[in-house]
Amino acid sequence: MSADNEPLIIGFLCNWCSYAGADMAGTSRMAYPSNIRIIRVPCSGRVDPLLIVKCFQEGADAVLVAGCHPGDCHYNEGNYYSRRRFAVLRALLDFMGIDKERFRVEWVSASEGKRFSQIVSQFTEDMNRIGARKAG
Amino acid sequence: MEADFTSQIREKARELLEKGTVECVIGYETGSDGVSARPSFIYNPSEVERLVFDNTCSHNLVKYLLDKKGKPTAIVVKGCDSRALNLLLSEKQLQRDQIFIIGVVCPGVVEWGWNRRSEQFQKRCDLCRQHTPLVYDLLIGTPVTEEPPPEFTDIAEMSARATEERASFWREQAERCLRCYACRQACPGCYCIDCFVEQLDPEWVGIRIATGENLMWNTIRAFHLAGRCIACNECERVCPVNLPLSLLNRKLEEEMLELFDYRAGMSEDATAPLITFIKEEKLGIGE
Ligand code: SF4
Ligand code: SF4
Ligand code: SF4
Ligand code: FES
Repeated sequence: MSADNEPLIIGFLCNWCSYAGADMAGTSRMAYPSNIRIIRVPCSGRVDPLLIVKCFQEGADAVLVAGCHPGDCHYNEGNYYSRRRFAVLRALLDFMGIDKERFRVEWVSASEGKRFSQIVSQFTEDMNRIGARKAG
Repeated sequence: MEADFTSQIREKARELLEKGTVECVIGYETGSDGVSARPSFIYNPSEVERLVFDNTCSHNLVKYLLDKKGKPTAIVVKGCDSRALNLLLSEKQLQRDQIFIIGVVCPGVVEWGWNRRSEQFQKRCDLCRQHTPLVYDLLIGTPVTEEPPPEFTDIAEMSARATEERASFWREQAERCLRCYACRQACPGCYCIDCFVEQLDPEWVGIRIATGENLMWNTIRAFHLAGRCIACNECERVCPVNLPLSLLNRKLEEEMLELFDYRAGMSEDATAPLITFIKEEKLGIGE
């Protein structure tokens, strides 16, 4: 939770699809909440679980990983690996008390600016609903 | 039975060392308290009388094979330990033809400590599905038909608690962690040359005493064993402050079974689920 009591969401966006999608949302002047802090990564497959757990440890309320749709990964297979990895990580985090709602993985293409802005708006709304995480 | 197992192990060890088939036999001997077993490395046939097998032989000795690469070695394994052999063989960490496996059909090991041995089986033995080793060159004991009890009841109980309760449960547990890394050192699956926890740039886990740093460690340690943990429960046994690590390990084991119908260490040519994929699969991610 940030100082102004707004949920803090960290977003890892793959360079080739989702980051471009977010860019598209920006250039087409689609509004989405400023709760998300975007980190550009080469591929969703680059997102080491360490990064996710570290975000939560440092006090993030939620984490979003966004990558190319299955079949569209710039490196062909990165998102297939991340899909498995994050399905398991999400279950483990939930078991340890980080609600599975707080960790989302989405596929967003470069042309899906609108979808990106909807995902962030919905995610922010959901986080406002379930409330801040107690740090830990 | 114990005496019988012990004599069969000694006999085979003597033969292997005398013939020069192996350089070393890794087994168990009675520790200096005179009660509980400890790992033993026998290089000389005249020393095989040190070897024993009893219900305090908890240690998963397979980890020590990683220090014997290229050296013919014999090892005593229980059923659960044999899954660690399969894990390390499948990950190309060991050469099967360099290892002579003395498999023991394990009746279970008990809770014990310095100078004390209880009658109580360890929890992993109550839950054991693998009393008979999966891989061996010599089998000691008679194979048993496994009738394991339901294995995930405690996981279901934990999952049924409110999220916030689970969070405070794990914070309380992690608060005690000393970060001695005994859990890692005992684990056959933790053999990285450099563990993330000692990495300095970036420094994933700070050295300061802090629950958050401990949680980071405990979470990632468990995750790195996802689809690889073979349920020997050595990590939990060696923890000096009793963190319930098996809850995390077995939560992941359950997840692996549900999502991928996979159990680690069952064969030497298995592929762990997280290093492969099926294009068409649906895992409730990004759908
Ligand atoms: S053995 Fe226990 S105290 Fe030591 S690092 Fe592992 S969990 Fe922490
Ligand atoms: S905790 Fe992870 S990085 Fe460290 S030794 Fe184990 S598997 Fe390797
Ligand atoms: S994580 Fe624990 S139970 Fe699993 S293989 Fe390692 S030491 Fe054994
Ligand atoms: S490049 Fe976008 S997910 Fe791999």
